[in-house]
Amino acid sequence: MAEIFDRLLIRILLTGFVCLMIYLYRYAHVLFYPTVKRQILKKIHPAENPADTLHMFSRLVGIALIFSSMTFNESSGVILSVFHFVLWGTIAVILYLVSLYIIESVVLYNFDYADEILKRKNMSYAVVSLCHSLVMAYLTRTILIEAENSLVILLVLWLYMLVIAGFSVKYYHFITKLSFNRMMIQKNLAISFSYIGYSLGAAFIISSCFDQEHYDITIYCIQVLLKTVLALIIFPLFKRGIQKIFPIKLGGDDRMSTHFESDQQSLGYGFYEGCLFLTAAILTTMIVNKIQFGTIYPFF
Amino acid sequence: MYRFFLYVILVIIYLGLAKVLSPTEFGVQYLQNEKNFSKVFKGNQLTAILIDSHATGFLIKTYYQKYRVIYGFQNVEEIIVRTSKEFAVKNIKNMGMSLYRNNENIEEIIPLPPGSLYIGNREFGQWKKIKSGKVKWTFYRVYKNIPRYLGWGTFSPDMEFYQKMRAEVSLNQPFYGPNNEFGLNGKITKEHFPHFFTEQRTKKVEFKTLFIDYFKENF
Repeated sequence: MAEIFDRLLIRILLTGFVCLMIYLYRYAHVLFYPTVKRQILKKIHPAENPADTLHMFSRLVGIALIFSSMTFNESSGVILSVFHFVLWGTIAVILYLVSLYIIESVVLYNFDYADEILKRKNMSYAVVSLCHSLVMAYLTRTILIEAENSLVILLVLWLYMLVIAGFSVKYYHFITKLSFNRMMIQKNLAISFSYIGYSLGAAFIISSCFDQEHYDITIYCIQVLLKTVLALIIFPLFKRGIQKIFPIKLGGDDRMSTHFESDQQSLGYGFYEGCLFLTAAILTTMIVNKIQFGTIYPFF
Repeated sequence: MYRFFLYVILVIIYLGLAKVLSPTEFGVQYLQNEKNFSKVFKGNQLTAILIDSHATGFLIKTYYQKYRVIYGFQNVEEIIVRTSKEFAVKNIKNMGMSLYRNNENIEEIIPLPPGSLYIGNREFGQWKKIKSGKVKWTFYRVYKNIPRYLGWGTFSPDMEFYQKMRAEVSLNQPFYGPNNEFGLNGKITKEHFPHFFTEQRTKKVEFKTLFIDYFKENF
């Protein structure tokens, strides 16, 4: 009974630590967004600004995703395990927030948080921000697992992941027919739905590229690059295939154009693009990761 | 057009990277044809016997051959090489035969029975008259294991065999033994290099049996 109670106590202590990290995040949020100091450090009113609520709480979802990858091994001693948990938890959250800051600087460089969220209450911006939170958390979680408690490997993989993620978000402008900046200014949710599909798909692909056995970091990095290039080859094939199987027609004209006659039309196209990107990406991960050729070395 | 060009570049990058990193590129040498034997098999008094041949791939096949290399004064080794389709197909009939021999830097590439390099070579053995009156080749005691490596079994070449072999060599013709004992259809080859002839390799796939086995294993 005492042993069971002891284990329960450890679980409660760790829950408390995670809550403490989330509490500290309130202040970290202020560091990244000093203009919201007053709102963040007092009570939050979700009804007043849903965009701000979504923007802030999406970060929490990300932190929760990251903590879901942490392990606590009591067999190596409680003090050491708690220290390990605290250290890696802190490092993971810092890496997550920094990568989030970098990726938002790359994608939303034309937009200012204070203007879009606080003044204009731009839901489109908030949804794109939600995507970034989920994507970066998912990728940080993947590299935390792959680093296998090695700080050096974690830093190398984190930098590598940032480069690939940075290129992938730039690739979005290359394949979408929607104008990101213009629709974002218009607060058009079509762009956010399209971006959700794309960014989640990209996260699945990048994560699957990192998910492999590694004995040598150089070979591992080249294998990741190889899988990424393979995904870049397969993804457009699926995208084009689905477009051929389900041809779409907007309004009276069946030729696609970036100018939409109504919000409803653009929203529909946003849904279509989002689903198209996500489906193509998930199928790409299957082709890249799940096909086993057995040993190709000739043992006969 | 611009996107298509980018896509082609991506495919080229992928193929280049994959080729560099492919495990088959490490340690497996490429033997295009018989002219490249000396680049792959290095040493003196050596004979390379083709003991297996295999193709991998679904649409684009890659061909491999396995050789047993017997050196006069070193340990025996088995070497796998990647080869061209033409060379692999051409040499199927030479299974179990010695395709390359190097004796004091004199190279021979005519397919001959395994051990042809050593028969008649006084450094390795001698001709002995047996009870039946025939003259047979026997290895010195120190080389007593060579016939086992050559896959001879109870076979022991006689003078007639040797003379016929040399006659074919002088005509630049392959020699499969007086009664075709060696090569793809040779009894001695089938007995002593059985891996190539295993049922698994030669049997035709019956879809009915294949599906029945699949459902038995998985459901």
